[in-house]
Amino acid sequence: MKLSSHLFIFLTIFSGFWLDSVIATFNIRTYITLLEGIPYLVETCIGFLILSYWIYALPEKIQSSAALFYGLLIDLFFGSAIGFNMLFFSGISYVIHVYVFRFRIFSYLQLIIFFGGASIFYIACKYLIFSPENYSYLLLLVSFFINALLWLPIYYLMRSMRRTFL
Amino acid sequence: MARVTPTHTPATKYILACLLAITLLLSDINYQTFSSLRGGVQATGIYSQLFLGSLFSRLLAFNTLNEDKKTLIRENHQLRDQLQLFKNKVFLEKQLQLIRTDLLDLEHGLQNLMDVGQVRIFKIGSFGLANYLCCSKHILHLQNPNQLNVLNNLPVAIDKTFIGQTKTQHLGLIEVILFSDISHVLPASINGLPCNAQGAGQPMLARCTVTADSIEPGIETTSPVLTSGLGGVFPKGVRIGSVQSIDKISLDEFSIEIRLDGNPINHSYFGVLGGS
Repeated sequence: MKLSSHLFIFLTIFSGFWLDSVIATFNIRTYITLLEGIPYLVETCIGFLILSYWIYALPEKIQSSAALFYGLLIDLFFGSAIGFNMLFFSGISYVIHVYVFRFRIFSYLQLIIFFGGASIFYIACKYLIFSPENYSYLLLLVSFFINALLWLPIYYLMRSMRRTFL
Repeated sequence: MARVTPTHTPATKYILACLLAITLLLSDINYQTFSSLRGGVQATGIYSQLFLGSLFSRLLAFNTLNEDKKTLIRENHQLRDQLQLFKNKVFLEKQLQLIRTDLLDLEHGLQNLMDVGQVRIFKIGSFGLANYLCCSKHILHLQNPNQLNVLNNLPVAIDKTFIGQTKTQHLGLIEVILFSDISHVLPASINGLPCNAQGAGQPMLARCTVTADSIEPGIETTSPVLTSGLGGVFPKGVRIGSVQSIDKISLDEFSIEIRLDGNPINHSYFGVLGGS
């Protein structure tokens, strides 16, 4: 795959993570000002879902090395511990590659459930590694529904972008 | 549906990738191995943001400054235009004032002339200066834009004297024949001596021819020449000029040159006395 295509894919993933950070900032502010009494409820994974889409759509072009490199860059740019996103990007890449042809015959609902589940696995690991005291099943449950709902718009948006630019 | 032939995904590369990622993650979490790198990247990001913000604010300030300059230039142009307008206005006011003064003087002079009743003032339309300075025909035209009905043979005055009489009217112009026109004859009186002052065909000049026995001793240069009122056009006793010279032209005839008082060159407005 061309370098420009990689750059384009990385830019979409980067935008997704940037959007995640913006939403998280907004969520945290809202939580602090309004909802201090209840647990922190939502964590979006737009960047992770975008990466999942690209692997799902172009499995032959995004292999382990690409996933590892994207993860490294995201870790660097967003200040995560180096290796975290590398690990999960490689992991999700492997899982999708293994089942990619089964996904082709999945219904939208099944895809939603799978990618929603993958995203809450990502969130759960993130909380367990970096912030175990804030780990909450309610957060995972709500995040599952939110990310599952987000999958379809991301899917259609990325598909239209893929058809237009790649 | 699949764009490539399904193949077996080798796990080795993914396992290696995951092992590498785990190693990096653990070393970073436990020993902060990459904290300097992460910090450097974040610092670069922050500096980039600050730099871009500063650049943006400078651009904004430059744009504001530019806008201010544009506003100043625009205001300057507006002020210059207003000043120009004001100057023009003052000039026009001045001209208007001059015209009013001229008209007032004319009216004042006309009031002293007679009690004819109606006095109408007309602006000069054209004056054949070339003829006036060289030749015998001395005609001027007054503007009559409202097409007022002005009769022929009405006295035309400036200041406190007459200069001629209306001759005819064409469209919006009144033709006035001056006393100095060679075809004009004005019944005049010099110290009681009646004579017909005929235009000399020279500016402000008329001539009377009188017999030798009619000249009285009192007639000399600078003697006033008055209208006699005999023609029925001009009222009696209005000064129109003074005697300039008395010349003997034959054994029993004298020519008296009359210097007329009214100088039409200096005036823009003329009064026509009498009804329509």
